[in-house]
Formats: sequence, C-alpha cells, structure tokens
Amino acid sequence: MSNSIDVSPKDDDYFSSDDGSTDDTADSHLDLLGKRVRNKKGVKHKDALEAEEMEKAEQKAMEMDRPAEFVPDSVSRIFGYSDFSFLKLKPDHASRPLWINPVDGRIYLESFSPLFEQAQDFLITIAEPVSRPSFIHEYRITTHSLYAAVSVGLETDDIISVLNRLSKVPVAPSVVEFIKQATHSYGKVKLVLKHNHYFVESSQADILRMLLHDEVIGKLRVHTGDSNDADSNDDELERVSPASGLAIGAISGPANSASGPSGPSGPSGPSGPAKSSASAPDPTVEDIYESVIGEGDDGEGDLDTVHAFQISTASVEIVKKRCQEIDYPMLEEYDFRNDLRNPNLEIDLKPSTQIRPYQEKSLSKMFGNGRARSGIIVLPCGAGKTLVGITAACTIRKSAIILCTSSVSVMQWKQQFLQWCTIQPNQVAVFTSESKEMFTGDAGLVVSTYSMVANTRNRSHDSQKVMDFITSREWGFIILDEVHVVPAAMFRRVVTTIAAHAKLGLTATLVREDEKISDLNFLIGPKLYEANWMELSQKGHIANVQCAEVWCPMTSEFYQEYLRENSRKRMLLYIMNPTKFQACQFLIQYHENRGDKIIVFADNVYALQEYALKLGKPFIYGSTPQQERMNILQNFQYNDKVNTIFLSKVGDTSIDLPEATCLIQISSHYGSRRQEAQRLGRILRAKRRNDEGFNAFFYSLVSKDTQEMYYSTKRQAFLVDQGYAFKIITHLHGMENLPNLAYSTPKERRELLQEVLLKNEEAAGVELGEDSENFIGHGVSKRLKTTVSRATKNQSSLSGLAGGEDMAYVEYSRNKNKELSGAHHPFFQKNYYKKKKK
Amino acid sequence: MARAIKGSLVECDPSIKALIVKIDSDYRDIVIEELDDTHLLVDPSKIPFIKRELSKLLSENMYNLNEDNQA
Repeated sequence: MSNSIDVSPKDDDYFSSDDGSTDDTADSHLDLLGKRVRNKKGVKHKDALEAEEMEKAEQKAMEMDRPAEFVPDSVSRIFGYSDFSFLKLKPDHASRPLWINPVDGRIYLESFSPLFEQAQDFLITIAEPVSRPSFIHEYRITTHSLYAAVSVGLETDDIISVLNRLSKVPVAPSVVEFIKQATHSYGKVKLVLKHNHYFVESSQADILRMLLHDEVIGKLRVHTGDSNDADSNDDELERVSPASGLAIGAISGPANSASGPSGPSGPSGPSGPAKSSASAPDPTVEDIYESVIGEGDDGEGDLDTVHAFQISTASVEIVKKRCQEIDYPMLEEYDFRNDLRNPNLEIDLKPSTQIRPYQEKSLSKMFGNGRARSGIIVLPCGAGKTLVGITAACTIRKSAIILCTSSVSVMQWKQQFLQWCTIQPNQVAVFTSESKEMFTGDAGLVVSTYSMVANTRNRSHDSQKVMDFITSREWGFIILDEVHVVPAAMFRRVVTTIAAHAKLGLTATLVREDEKISDLNFLIGPKLYEANWMELSQKGHIANVQCAEVWCPMTSEFYQEYLRENSRKRMLLYIMNPTKFQACQFLIQYHENRGDKIIVFADNVYALQEYALKLGKPFIYGSTPQQERMNILQNFQYNDKVNTIFLSKVGDTSIDLPEATCLIQISSHYGSRRQEAQRLGRILRAKRRNDEGFNAFFYSLVSKDTQEMYYSTKRQAFLVDQGYAFKIITHLHGMENLPNLAYSTPKERRELLQEVLLKNEEAAGVELGEDSENFIGHGVSKRLKTTVSRATKNQSSLSGLAGGEDMAYVEYSRNKNKELSGAHHPFFQKNYYKKKKK
Repeated sequence: MARAIKGSLVECDPSIKALIVKIDSDYRDIVIEELDDTHLLVDPSKIPFIKRELSKLLSENMYNLNEDNQA
C-alpha cells in the first residue's frame, strides 16, 4: 500500500501535490502522500502539545543515539528522526533474528530464523506481543513488561546482553538507557494489605520519605494513633520467605514439582535450571539463556527490615497511579503461605484434572517467586481460562471471591469449581439477584456478578447483609472474569471496595475501543501472560479457523439510496443488501451439505428477523422467552434437521452456546474488535477440532464500497494480530445457479428497498444486550432511550397515508387512567395498588 | 446539422457509476449522458477532478492501520 511510508512533518515541501501532472500513477501516489502530510499537520494543531512533547523526546533520543561523526546521506531527510543508518549491520546479521526500533521500542522478530524458539521465549519474558502473524512477529518493550521481567529475577545487564546477542544491529543507547531506568526502580515500593489496612512499604527509608514529600501521596497518608514523631515511619521487621517448595495447584508429582519454582519458562524452557556465572569466558547463547531464564529465585532468604506507612482504602488507586507516574511502580505480592491471619480453605485440584502446558506456564508467571502476583492472564476463548482461575485458587487456598459478567456465567463457574476441585457445595456461595446465601465455615468461595457488587443504590436487606459480609473481611484472592469490562466507571469501584490480597483478571480480549485499557495496569496489575493463538490451534487446544471476508456488491438502487441517506439509515441499507442475502443463503446451503452446524450472527434485530424468516431458520434475540430459547438450542445441538440458527447480540455472552463449526456474520456493532474476537471464540471450542484436517469457518459478509468495509477492517485488527489471515472472497462460485435464490428478480429487490426505506431510524439501532451496562458507550445508552420523543417519523406517499395503498392510518392515545396515578383513594392505594407493585 | 459534443467514455462498476452520478448532482456539469448501468459519457476536462473526488469518497471506506495506530 502506498500509504505506508512514514513522512516527517518537516519534509512537506518535497511532497507538494502536483496538479498539472497527467501521469495517472504518479499523480495519485504523490497526491496521497501529500494529503497524508497535510493530515499530519492538521493533527498537530489539534494536540500540538503532545506532538511537541514527542518531538522533544525524539530529539533527545536522537542526540543520545547518533554518534558525532554521523553523516546523513541523501535520503535521510525522508526519514527524519527515524534514520538509523548509524547502527551498522553486524557481519553475521542473517543469523540473528531481531531488530529493535529505538523510536518506540518495537522489536521485530523473524519467525523463520533458526534462533526463533529461544528468542521467542526470551521476548515473551521481557516484552509484550503486539502482532504475531506467520512470518514476522512484533513485540514491544514497555515499562510494564520490564517490571514483569525484573520480578521474576532477570537482571538488567543480562537482558541487555541477550538483546545484543540476538539483534542484527547493536542495540541503540536510548533503548539501553530505557531498560536501565525501568528495571532500576522496580520493586522498591510495595503495597501490602495487613489487617484490612493498606500499607506502603519499602526496605529503604529514604524512598518512603521521598514518597511522603510528594504532593499527591503525602496528603493521603493515614496516621495511626500510636506514633509520636513528625515524620515517623512504622519500623517493622519482616522475614521474607524463600521461594522453594511451591507446587502449583497442589498436585504433587514429578512433572509439577520440577516446574513449580524453576522460573517462568520452566516447563518449556531449556533443560534444567543450570546457572552459568556472568563472568564465564565468552558464554554461548545457550548459557546466557539458562542463566537468564532458568534462574530460580532463591536469593531472598535473608531478613529484611522494612518501613511502612498507612494509606486509606479509598486512596489506593490514586497512590498506585501516582507511584507509576513518578517511576516507582508499586509491587503487589501476596505471601499467602505465611499469612496466618486469614483462615485456610482446604481445597485441591481433583487428581483427574489435567492442566495443559500453556495454563501451567501462565500460572508460573503468577506464582513465579513463591508469592502470588496480581495481574491479568489473556487466553483465547475456549482455551480453559476457568481452569486457570480454579488452579490459582487451589494454590492460594484462602477465601476467594469470583466476579463474572452475568448470572449464567456465575452458574458456570460454580459448576466448574465443583467439577475440577475438591471443594464442597456448602463452601461455595452464590450471590445473585435470585440467591443470597452465605457459605458455612470460616473460609469459602463467593461467586457473584459485577452489577451485584457495584450497585450503589438501595439494596434489599438480604443483599445488604451479604455486601456487608463481603466488604468487612479480607479476601485472599479475587478472580475477575472478562476483566476488560472493569475499567468502566461503574466497575472500578469493585476493585477498591473488596479488600483482596491477590487479584487475577482473566480475559480473551484485552482491548477496548476507548483508552481505558491501560488503567488496568494499576487497577489490577500487569499482563502476566498472553497466549499465542496460532500456537494453541496448532497444538489442537483450540480449533483451526479459516477466516474469510465476503464482499457483496450493492445493487445500484440500494447504492443510490445509500449515498443519499444519513448514517443510521445507511446501516440498514447495507445490511439488507439483496446480494448479501444471496451470499448468506448460498453459504448456509453449502455448509449444511457438508454437515456443519452454522450460527449466523446479526446485531440488528430487524435484519435478523428478515433474514431468518425469509430463509426459514429459527432465531433468538433479546425478547425470545427462555423456554423457546432452550428449545431452539436443544434442537440445534441434537436434531439433525436443525443445522442453522440466527442469533442476535444475546449470543455474544449470556447464552451457553452449543458448539458450531461455521459462523457467518451479517451485521456487527461498528468497529468493536472485542466483539469480533469473542464471536470467533464461539467456534474455537469445537469438539471436532482434533480431527485430521478439520477447519472451522468464520465468514464476515460486507457490502462493497460502503462504510461497512471500514468497520470490518478495523474489527479484524485484533484477530490479524493474533495471526489469523482474512481471505477475501469477491465472488461465490455457483451462487447464480442456486435454486430458490432469494431476491433474484429486480421486482423483488425493489420491494425490499421500499420496505427498508419505510423503516424508521430506530430499526437501524443495535439491540441492547443483556450485559450492556458492562460497556460504556457500547450498548445503546439507556439514558438516550428515555429522551426519545414519542413522535415517530415515517416516509411514505400521500396516497399511502390516505389509505390508498395497503396501509391503515391509526392513532394511538395514552390511557387516560394512567394519568390519575397517585390520585387514588388512600384505602385503595394502600391495599390494592401497593400490592400490585410487588 | 448534427451537433457533436466531445466526451470521454467511462466504463465502471455500478457502484462507482452511482458515485459519479452523486458527484454530478453536487457539482453540476460533469456527466453528459448516462448510457447504462456501467457506462457514462463525461466531460473530458473534468476527469482529474472526478478522480480526486472518487478517491476522497472511497478512502472514507478504507481503514488505514497507520492512522489509527494504538497499542
């Protein structure tokens, strides 16, 4: 694509657009580049401050990097700050797999290099994966990923030397500086929860004093009653326990005990935790790997004196954020084995439970040095996130609380807990609107939803009792399912109202369409582990999926109307495109003949009904009663004659969906990447996935030359980063020959167009899902709905309104009696209407 | 006497034709005659203008990863 060259703002005179040129290609090429430059300048006006800051940072980095004798050559000014030709290629660069971009810390890794496996293991430890398609992987070094690296015991110098070994060019000084800075300040400050109070702890008193003098943190300190000095720190002696002997999930066995404490890549890393000293003469790459990755963390057996001051529970989030800003990020680790105050919960995994290697790897990142680290684990849908949560709970063995998005998931979690570990049913308490009992005994499990816990308005007496119980005690562990919903304003409170030592967030899609995803870093913790989807599907843990985008050209009448309308009606037009209908029908028939089970997703309820009724398939949407839903789903699963169902947004989360092997998407919610990934997750757990050559299919039908193309590409961004390639299908072979092809005559199409145009704008809306309050701005806002006026607009001809066509003109009036509410006789009000309200 | 107007023949997809017709309705004097679903007769001097407008309209439908680059 011609738009991929990065143009620096200084060079716009080079790229002024050339109007007089008649050469087709040259004109458009320069034109586009010129436009990009002009766009960039426009952006600069908008956030001029940010851009200037970036330029200053780039300049500083450049001064640090560029040696004095560097002479820019003729093409340097095209690249501006990104000219790195002073970093010379090493003579054996072909055998080194990576290159680091000093500007933004991105690492590009060749997957076809012989050192790929080890390089990948190393990069997972120190960097975050950004994009992992087939040939070139992208990772990014961030402060958080470096903190994670340091917390498992990697040293600054080791990191830098391994990077130098693997990089095609010498690592730029600015990158080295960045790594040193980030790794230096990590781990100095800790947040500890003791006796339901939060303390900021450090082994160096001067750091604490520095924090107290900081304007934000100093004010938030809570003075305990028994200290006299003006600038007192509570001195405490604490013994930090050694890291040996931890078996994750408490399953004893040779495999697990070996992998338990031996560092982050125990199960899949190099053989044995051999340590080679850094001063060995010319160590090979393997030696460095073993010293860096295979190192156990057993240097912590000494006594440490620590100093601490207390902060209030409400200010924890502020203090954490502030500490991050001043580059002293807080370490939160829960030493659960030495926690004598909280009662133990004696649970273990059942012996029949099998943990897969990637699940074990993710847990070893959490329990890396014998303590529980808070953070987020990202695993694809269907890969067994629930089991990861259960195993972590069985390792910590303290009271735990689990929060999910809906009551259906609550039941699923409870059932899975009972299935995979030795917990007794009376130790598990479910807190939803239907059931509010508590567990018996000192320690147990509570499973609830975010809405139940975050609710601040009046509660019933029973709910209030349960909430008091939850907020009054200390929890050892909190599991946050679908953690990407937590940054929403409503749910952030949950994290602070519940006092938990260790927090684990689980999700498949750590993306949001707003900027709040980075808030999770200080709300819960850093990303501990992110699975490689492609690797998992190769190993057969999730299904192999072929993704395709089918381009359906708009018919000319539909397209003309599309160009004329405004944006909400437009959506209706490109969804109800007759060509899309035909494509959908063709694909359904093709896959039914292959014996696949097909689910068709449509966000828009009107389109869902039209499609399903026309093609004669069952459909489920928000208003479908529960009984009917169960009926349809059972038939889908077991009845050979029912092979296709249509689902609306309810199918995204709340329904316990049976397996399907083919997914067709005909309409979707703008550019939501999360939704696309979660829909794909519906077919990742297909049971037939381990059959030879089995492929699941994911089709996204888009109308060509419409806004839908834009949203479609945006949505696919997340899946493309995971390694899925979307094939483009422009023409379905044999579609014209399909018998009973819908809308094959122009007359039928015109009728469809009429019908669609008559629908008012509300029909173009997206269905309010049952979990819409979990997403800010992504469900249709309830507030908007209440201000809709009662007048509706319809477009029709005059003869139609007069009753000349088959339309009746009906007037509605509100029931006058309703206006008399509150004007009842007190006797009736008390006895009849009050009872009715209940 | 026959009147002859010089024009350029444009052959395209139905959707592009609809776009050019829309440009014509906004700006006047672009299209001389619409021949059928896929052919148009346009004023030759307006051809670069048509190209620019078309690429502007079509680029709204393209999602460019670099512009929207985040995380």
